Amino acid sequence: MTIAPDRTTATPGITAGTASPAVTVLVDRCAGCQECVVRCPTEALTMDTGRWVAVADSARCVGCRQCVRTCPFSAITVEGPMLVADRVATQVHLPEHLDGDVSETRRGITTWDEAVAEASRCLSCPDPTCVRGCPTHNDIPGFVAAVRQRDLDEAHRILRRTTFLPDVCSRVCDQAVQCEGSCTWSLAGGTPVAIGALERFITDNAPVPPPALPGTPGATGSADASSAPGEVSASPARRRRVAAPSGTSTAGAPSVAIVGSGPAGIAAAWELLQGGAHVTVFERDAAPGGLLGWGIPDFTLPAAVAERPWDQLQAAGVDLRCSTAVDASGLERLLAEHDAVVLAHGAGMPVRPPIPGVDLAGVEDATSFLQRARTALENGDKLADLDKAATGSPRTAATGSQRTAATVLVLGAGNTAMDVARCARRLGANAICIDWMDPRFAPVRPDELEEARAEGVDVRFSSTVVGLEGTGGTVAVARIARTRQERADRRPVIQQGSDELVPVDHVVLAMGYRLDPELSHDDLGRPFVKQAPELPDRRWTGSGILAAPAPSFARHQPVGRLALARETARVTAALPRRERLWVAGDALVGPSTVVEAMAQGREAARAVLAHRPRRPGAPRPEIAHVVVAYDSVGGRTASCARAVADLLGADGTTVEILPLKQVDTMTLARADLLVLGTWTEGFVVAGVGPSRTTRRWLADLPPIAGLRVATFCTYGVTPRGTLGIMRTLIEARGGEVVAEASMGGRNVLTAAKRFGVTVRTRMRSREAVAS
Amino acid sequence: MTITAGPGATTGPDGARTAGTDTATRPTPVGTDPVMTAVHLRPPQRRGMEERFAATDPSPGLDIARHPKVARILHNRRLQFMLILPNQIVFWAVIFLGLLGTVVPGLNFGTAITWYLWFCLVFVMMVVVGRAWCAMCPFGGFAEWIQRRTFWKRTQKALGLGRKVPEPIARYGFLLSVGAFLVLTWIEEFFNIAGPGAPHATSWMVVGIVASALVFFLAFERRSFCRYVCPLSALIGTVGAMGSVAGFRTRDRETCLSCATKDCMRGGTDGYGCPWYTWPGSADSNLACGLCTECYKACPSDNIGLYLQKPLTSVVAPRRRRADVAWAVAILWGLVVFQQVNATNGYASLDSWLIKATHIGYPNPVDYVGIIAAVTALMAGIVWVAQLALARRDLQLPTGGRGFMERVSKFRAFFLPLMYGIIPVVGADYFARQLPKFFKHVPRLVPAIGAWFGHGSTSSSIYHMRLLADPRIVTVQVGVIALGTLAAVATSWRIAGRDLATVSAHPAAARAVAVGLALACGAAAIVLYIAMHAAS
Repeated sequence: MTIAPDRTTATPGITAGTASPAVTVLVDRCAGCQECVVRCPTEALTMDTGRWVAVADSARCVGCRQCVRTCPFSAITVEGPMLVADRVATQVHLPEHLDGDVSETRRGITTWDEAVAEASRCLSCPDPTCVRGCPTHNDIPGFVAAVRQRDLDEAHRILRRTTFLPDVCSRVCDQAVQCEGSCTWSLAGGTPVAIGALERFITDNAPVPPPALPGTPGATGSADASSAPGEVSASPARRRRVAAPSGTSTAGAPSVAIVGSGPAGIAAAWELLQGGAHVTVFERDAAPGGLLGWGIPDFTLPAAVAERPWDQLQAAGVDLRCSTAVDASGLERLLAEHDAVVLAHGAGMPVRPPIPGVDLAGVEDATSFLQRARTALENGDKLADLDKAATGSPRTAATGSQRTAATVLVLGAGNTAMDVARCARRLGANAICIDWMDPRFAPVRPDELEEARAEGVDVRFSSTVVGLEGTGGTVAVARIARTRQERADRRPVIQQGSDELVPVDHVVLAMGYRLDPELSHDDLGRPFVKQAPELPDRRWTGSGILAAPAPSFARHQPVGRLALARETARVTAALPRRERLWVAGDALVGPSTVVEAMAQGREAARAVLAHRPRRPGAPRPEIAHVVVAYDSVGGRTASCARAVADLLGADGTTVEILPLKQVDTMTLARADLLVLGTWTEGFVVAGVGPSRTTRRWLADLPPIAGLRVATFCTYGVTPRGTLGIMRTLIEARGGEVVAEASMGGRNVLTAAKRFGVTVRTRMRSREAVAS
Repeated sequence: MTITAGPGATTGPDGARTAGTDTATRPTPVGTDPVMTAVHLRPPQRRGMEERFAATDPSPGLDIARHPKVARILHNRRLQFMLILPNQIVFWAVIFLGLLGTVVPGLNFGTAITWYLWFCLVFVMMVVVGRAWCAMCPFGGFAEWIQRRTFWKRTQKALGLGRKVPEPIARYGFLLSVGAFLVLTWIEEFFNIAGPGAPHATSWMVVGIVASALVFFLAFERRSFCRYVCPLSALIGTVGAMGSVAGFRTRDRETCLSCATKDCMRGGTDGYGCPWYTWPGSADSNLACGLCTECYKACPSDNIGLYLQKPLTSVVAPRRRRADVAWAVAILWGLVVFQQVNATNGYASLDSWLIKATHIGYPNPVDYVGIIAAVTALMAGIVWVAQLALARRDLQLPTGGRGFMERVSKFRAFFLPLMYGIIPVVGADYFARQLPKFFKHVPRLVPAIGAWFGHGSTSSSIYHMRLLADPRIVTVQVGVIALGTLAAVATSWRIAGRDLATVSAHPAAARAVAVGLALACGAAAIVLYIAMHAAS
């Protein structure tokens, strides 16, 4: 449910007394498609139905320029100011004495008045670009409107539809390239609504509710969590399944194993739990939380917030098994013991630079440093190897100086590197971060960079370490060279002869992570490359998120394309990479962000709940949702597809019939059976095969492990190898062809009906055989 | 059984995909797009829609894309390429043969095909189909291949700057194209290109058109050149309104309004967004439909048809009369009258006097512009007087905008419909002017082609063969004008009955004025043709 945009309370955020922007509709090019009219947040655009062109009322315009971005024919221009109040400033806490101080740096909005003022800057866009910019698609205008109405329960209710970690995400998300970067104000070149601060305000003032388990009173409050599968039964087939014994799990509830307890694992467990599944989580470390636990220091993410999800999940009944690593053979065992497995082990393999001296003592990776630093800071200790007096480091001995602070050199200047450096500062050391990228292109958050520098971290861009030299096996000197980078997409080049020797006591590698090859050598096609599709969904184009120049505060990154790339990863997580095996989070896409991992984990869990997979030996789930996809030019294949769909739908099965062009990843993810029909292209005997569109679609198909597919083709003269080509392409993606037929001549419809009967019989007999 | 979505029904009015009714039996609606729960688009405005499009929507029975074979052809991405290719070959031949071939204009293939046949054919296509030429135009076609980096495929990245035509120019619609036509006609008369004169002149003219098309295609997005700059665009657009092809239109406007993607405008997997800035959902004439089939290919709901219409429908039916089209008709009428006048004896003495005075050769720009302006002003003046006499005293005009296209006045309330009404006679006049060259010289194409093989000569009998002799040609011209006048009388009668009746104090008198204007135009053209014949 969406909160209706409350325009009367939205207006106070708009500054009064300023000149209105001037809106011009180019009448010659305006085709009256109303793309601008349906999206204008302030109803400044209406239709002149006599001439059938859009008409603008400049007096109502606030200058957000969404119309300019959405007009397909560029027939609208807006000149003039943006009528919006200044953003409410939030506090940044910089401790005077860093030593051991882990209090949170960034603070939220503190008073209701400020929160409402900030919320009033939101235009409640009818087509909110911020929602597309958010990796998990929180209903941002919805919860912002709830803040405006001072209704925290409603705000939480809206948030939990899409996120289980609002308190975490509002602290660790890089909003500049996500929701705030795609806020309509920032797309227009203005200052975005402080979405992150408002989300945090909600969680600061009302606790995040625990998982709503099915059957408990709270369950009805959740939009997505309905009853456990099998509890509500509509067809006799379903009742049969409920009655069937299903191993250790009770009453048909699926038993799902999750490997990893980071954000992706948390989201998957949460969603599965709410769907009524039995969830067992395997965690390699001693404490759950993955990256949330050890990866993000307390001054960014306080321990209480980081531990909240697992406290709630354990209380709700998740079977958490810490200190349990799962290897390849362990995975097979899990697949045999559970109905489904979600792999969410993350990408924990640090990238090591290929430089001499990287194996010296005193060089460690960021993961181990952060874990040690966290323990030390929690206990109020120092790290032994950073305490020069205790170690008597070679450099101290050489220079003869006593009790000066140790120097920690951090390779990298990303989020992790900043965390490492700032932890080192809090442990009493000097910290130098070096990054070989030009400061203009470096992927660092500007606020984080500013905070780190304020805390005394020496951040140097355009420089890189070309070698480490040690004394007595321990690192003592780093050889640092200058680099030059002309453009963001070019690799930086090391400048010869610019070497400089910097004495160091400790070196931390924070140059990023990658997927552990041990874990990814399993043919699952990982890491999945996140990229924006060549031709994005025009609903995205229509919202205008792709049309704006990249905002400067988002480091000139095209937020729309970033969001689209994240979206491809999110929907991909809904498809199993192997039969009954889903992968989510960094384990799927390589090093990424908390919110993306959460979104993917949730998507994988929803797919598990929808497909009701069963471990070997248990009865296979019946086919409940059929997708009939066809590619038709003259209409013959389309009528055949309709005939098949009619037959398959006759017994209560849900059938979705779509032209092939409209079948996307999500449609595939909800299909139990795919019926694929194509016309046969080719010249009588030469080049005969599935139509070009079908072939292209099949070639671009994502993994569809275990999806049952029935194929048919209509032909004029002969189908030749059409069905074979389709079978090969489908099986290459892990699909299973259960029936196929070719139809030609005058009686194609009869043939289509016969095919429909065959498919239905085969579906039923399979179920019968299985049970 | 619940079949949740079929073609055309996959999107709800709010833009959300209808996810079906399976939520009761399914634990979680996998695949429901979380974005769509946050999207709450305002409903599109439909008030007045039926009335607005009632007169212009073609009947479903005239949708030839309903035939599976036609649908197959229209879906084929190579279609337009195949249409362009023959013309492309011919016009590159024109360029090269014009430069390298014989210097005898009548025997040079380049000049012969361009001026004896092509120009005449373009007019026939215009009057019968509309923008058929635009679908096969080798000039825009060539530039578009380069802009799209392909001959027929759907590519996603365009070559060039992709600018939009700036609003101060684009607000005048087709008038820039009219201006380009005036300039081109003057150049053509000045250098005696269409006479035909020296073949290389024709070559350079074609090269000039191709080059300017290429420049515009690389600087601006889509077919901005065709829509705003192409010299023939305004002429084809206005005269083509007589044509019997309505172009690509929506089959169901409701589906278009609730369409969440608008692939016909933005481009989809199989088709580009409309290169002509036309939306099939609101097209009410064939004015700006280049028949390129892209919207048909792009539509995700198979909701676009290719419609036929009765001749003259796009002249009479449109509810929205465009100011640029009305002025274009008036100016084009001025131009064709000039072309007739300049073949009379009286003009020759005026022009030679002006050439002496200004030292610029035939046709002198002063009388060229002067006569066109005078005729245009005369048309406007007649309408001005008519509206003074006829307009209702209590006439309430709707509020218009300030731009050229949006302004509303009593003058415009009469001028726009009346100019639409004379489109057929203007078209007929242009067509009639091409006839002499066709009837006298089109057989020369045979020796012109024969010349490639060394078998063409100016002494051959076919070179001097004429399809019709001179006095008969005038008869045919007068016949064509008479036919055009008849059509103009019919359109003016109907337009006056609908558009002028509401703004006139005496609807019958308004009708009489409209019909009288059409008749007067026709009579003037006939008189001029007879005078031209007398002069020659």
